[in-house]
Amino acid sequence: MKILLTFFALLATLRAQDFSNVEIQTLHVQGSVYMLVGGGGNVTVQTGNDGVLLVDTNFAQLAPKIMAAIRKLSAGPVRYVVLTHVHADHTGGTEALVKLGATPAAPAPALLVAHINVLNRMVTPLPGDPAVPQALWPLDTYSTPFKDFFFNNEAVMVTHLPNAHTDGDSIVFFRRSDVLSVGDVFEPDLYPFIDLARGGSVQGLIDGLNKILEIAVPAKYQEGGTLVIPGHGRLCDEADVVEFRDMVTIIRDRVQDLIKQGKTLDQVKAAKPSRDYDTQYAAPGSFVTPDAFVESVYRSLKK
Amino acid sequence: MRRVVLLIVVSGAIYAQGPPQGRGPQGPPPTPKAAAPVDFTGYWVSVVTEDWRWRMLTPIKGDFASIPFNAEGRKLGDAWNPAADEASGSQCKAYGAPAIMRVPGRLHITWADDNTLRIDADAGTQTRLLHFNGKPSGEPSWQGYTAANWERPLRGSGAPQSGLGATREGAQGRSLEAVTTLLRPGYLRKNGAPYSANTVLKEYFDLSKERNGDTWFAVTTIVEDPQFLSEPFVTSTNWKKEPDGSKWNPSGCSAR
Amino acid sequence: MIKLSTGIQPALLLLAAAALPAFAQQDFSGEWAPLYHEDGPERLPGPELADYTELPINDAARLRADSWDADRISVVEQYQCRPHGADYSMRGLGNLRVWREIDPVTQRTVAIHTHLLAWDSERTIYMDGRAHPPDYAQHTWQGFSTGVWEGNMLTITTTHLKENYIRRNGVPRSDKAMFTEHWTRHGDYLTVTTVIEDPVFLTEPLVRSDNWYLDPGQHIGIFGCEYAAELPKPEGTVPHHLPGTNPYLHEFADYYGLPYEATRGGAETLYPEYKSKLTGYKPPDHCERFCVCTTLFNCNLR
Repeated sequence: MKILLTFFALLATLRAQDFSNVEIQTLHVQGSVYMLVGGGGNVTVQTGNDGVLLVDTNFAQLAPKIMAAIRKLSAGPVRYVVLTHVHADHTGGTEALVKLGATPAAPAPALLVAHINVLNRMVTPLPGDPAVPQALWPLDTYSTPFKDFFFNNEAVMVTHLPNAHTDGDSIVFFRRSDVLSVGDVFEPDLYPFIDLARGGSVQGLIDGLNKILEIAVPAKYQEGGTLVIPGHGRLCDEADVVEFRDMVTIIRDRVQDLIKQGKTLDQVKAAKPSRDYDTQYAAPGSFVTPDAFVESVYRSLKK
Repeated sequence: MRRVVLLIVVSGAIYAQGPPQGRGPQGPPPTPKAAAPVDFTGYWVSVVTEDWRWRMLTPIKGDFASIPFNAEGRKLGDAWNPAADEASGSQCKAYGAPAIMRVPGRLHITWADDNTLRIDADAGTQTRLLHFNGKPSGEPSWQGYTAANWERPLRGSGAPQSGLGATREGAQGRSLEAVTTLLRPGYLRKNGAPYSANTVLKEYFDLSKERNGDTWFAVTTIVEDPQFLSEPFVTSTNWKKEPDGSKWNPSGCSAR
Repeated sequence: MIKLSTGIQPALLLLAAAALPAFAQQDFSGEWAPLYHEDGPERLPGPELADYTELPINDAARLRADSWDADRISVVEQYQCRPHGADYSMRGLGNLRVWREIDPVTQRTVAIHTHLLAWDSERTIYMDGRAHPPDYAQHTWQGFSTGVWEGNMLTITTTHLKENYIRRNGVPRSDKAMFTEHWTRHGDYLTVTTVIEDPVFLTEPLVRSDNWYLDPGQHIGIFGCEYAAELPKPEGTVPHHLPGTNPYLHEFADYYGLPYEATRGGAETLYPEYKSKLTGYKPPDHCERFCVCTTLFNCNLR
């Protein structure tokens, strides 16, 4: 519960933050896909003759800067926005970017794609959560294991990861560009936030990471090939996801073992089962502290 | 116009090469101390990040891993008898020049004079003298006779040369090279790994300054001993500079 | 286009050449064979389990290494063809080829390239002063390297390394590390001093040096690697030892009669004053393990 309150307190703080100093950096990933970094979550941009597709939209306050970066890549209209999950640092800019992304040639609003649980969470937020404006609601939802379509000369495959970071996670695979955009299921330098209140679970997270590993294919000697855009942090590939998956799995195993020994939550925390990963994954300023991560794993396993 | 251009160009070329040589009165060449491209003086500590169990402890008898011994070297090594070394007053066999730079301890490096670099080691209380432009003389000893130079290029006198677009960048490097002979037979390691009196020891000292402000030097040690080794034995040892001699801790030689 | 008269052109060439700064740069081009005259057993057949000597590691590194299970390489396919990082590669686990890339117009060295036998690893060391990529750029096994000359010594800085290991018995090296090298060539010997700074797993920089000799007759073949499920296990299995359960931690100390605490590594154990703490050393009467070890072909258990 504490981590949830901390998360929303942080988001509220971020919303009130002065974003004027935030710079949006652009990195060409490969093929038709780019990554925009800065502020909230990474934004994935796919460009081509059909227009622009975005995966996630960062914060609303950064929409003008994000659109300025997009316009250096393409003058085409934003036709698709795929939301990897419900959190505001990945969805807040949707309305503004859709408006800014419209062009005279394509005045119709972009299709907002997400798993149906994202819509459900927005329509009926948790008690105490702020209401989500309807303009942010994805109306092109799916409830099957995956949804795919063809855009900018490649297959775009959106796959649901049940009960991972949340219960509405999607990962997006650009098949010809060979790029996966995975949202907050994977963040190379941070402990994952398992949003238990929104259906997240440690096992679902591990299953989701294994799904990513199933799709990704490295080029040679475990490097390159399928590139992975995480929810936050640097551009990665399969080997980076393996390290992260291993970390979550090992800490899960340790906590599970302590639970089997009959330890309480406080006793599990005192045992510090994540201590050899803390310096790597407990970034300064991150609300997912080692204790918070261990607690979320504990509570998830106890459900 | 062409003459003016040529004059400017030639002047520029001469300028780029440095001060003129052999024109007008010149002073004596600088001494090795004055010409030192880097400064090795000071206190240094060995940081044992390689061959730890062969250096921090007396290795197991017969453990000659990494040493390219021939059969004769191995046979003599297997016959190691520290008691016999003690009885004969040869406790310092493992502290000779081919080994001393691998022995954990501290060094104090100073200029004994303008032509001699002095290396004192607290482990075994040993002293090495590196004679610049020296010629071997004297009796064999644990430390032998070391002739040293600031390393010169393979060819050329050391002055830069250029012509028709090709340049030999002849300026001296930053390395100290040393050749030691006149060695008494000793041990490469404390467990009796032998080297003979025929050994020629070559060393190259290279200084570096690291991002965190630490100064280190690495000494590449090449032991050539055709009697006991099937090929040159090459190691490189890292020493970190210390601010002062407060941790200087002289100890005697030990055969065990 | 301005045509220069024939007398001026050679003169300008002379000026261009002479204007190059008089560094004493070396050429490291060639085929280099590694020398295993230091830590042969650790580098060749491989480090023994729970041998953490020589390393200034912290508790986090120790626990990671204690938890490491070699089965991970067999079970987790993604580990099977995982190469060494640029830093571990320079422990000389393989033969090395070095060549220069020269700009055809300026004749300046743009980059130095290396190829290592192990995993066919190739690295580019940029010599043209370019900046390192931003933090959010991809990390690779060989990282991103730039080099500068310090007299006759080439100093190389490498960032953007993927997570890898300091020693291949589980002692980790994080993706936040910075790797510095100093290359010097003396005749036919190449000495590479390496400095690994890892704020996650090391309490101070790890400084070591290794040697190669010039071997013009060397031919580096193809390393090659293919994944295969060697020990089929349920998907997502990650072999590891739970804290406090690794049964092998004392083996190394027992084999060599070493005080167990000393085998746990740490910066304190690297300095001469630590020798006074090495009580309890009870070596066997005679060498029983890796008594001869200088090449791949003579590094036998006995």
